[in-house]
Amino acid sequence: MRALTDVTSEILRKWRESRGWDVPRMARELRKAARDTGEDVAAHHGLVKMIPQWERGNRAPRERYRLLYLKVFQDMLGDLPPGMAFGTELAVRLAGVRSRAARLPGPDEIRALEAAALAKPRQAMTPAEIRARATEAIAQLHEVADKLAELSALLGDDAAGGGAS
Amino acid sequence: MSARDDKIRQAMAELDVHVAEVEASVAALKALLADDEAAGEEEQARRG
Repeated sequence: MRALTDVTSEILRKWRESRGWDVPRMARELRKAARDTGEDVAAHHGLVKMIPQWERGNRAPRERYRLLYLKVFQDMLGDLPPGMAFGTELAVRLAGVRSRAARLPGPDEIRALEAAALAKPRQAMTPAEIRARATEAIAQLHEVADKLAELSALLGDDAAGGGAS
Repeated sequence: MSARDDKIRQAMAELDVHVAEVEASVAALKALLADDEAAGEEEQARRG
């Protein structure tokens, strides 16, 4: 299992935010991870107080909680090919940008937004601008898909090569 | 740092830019529709 020695308070906050979780949700996830393994942890309201302190660096989480964080975010950390010279910070950035990409609307949804925006005259944007904005967004969506594929290929190649680079 | 690490960082940076551009365009379109909702609520409040 990856050590948590290089995880800073800032990274704990970024891990949480990359999932779009607020502090109470983070507390629930930690308690859920603890429940799954029968561990005893602080009550929900206690965790809600402690998490911001850990994230601000006012105090460090004890080993029990550090291990729970690893359990909760193991899929994100496991995203990295073994042997690759990646830092945790980069793993967080990668997970964050992938998560944002996954939340983007699809072309159909963008076209629906365009149609709704065109349904009546607007002062803020002309119909031509609305159409251009939607077309640009869809073109960028294709770029996003291409970059995601490129990243997967790069990460996959690296894993297949055992990180020998 | 290896050439492959560089490529990954570069691809990540470009992905970040493209995602931000889609987010900005979608936000602009949604803002137009949000204006409609706000205007509708104002209208309802005036009538109510």
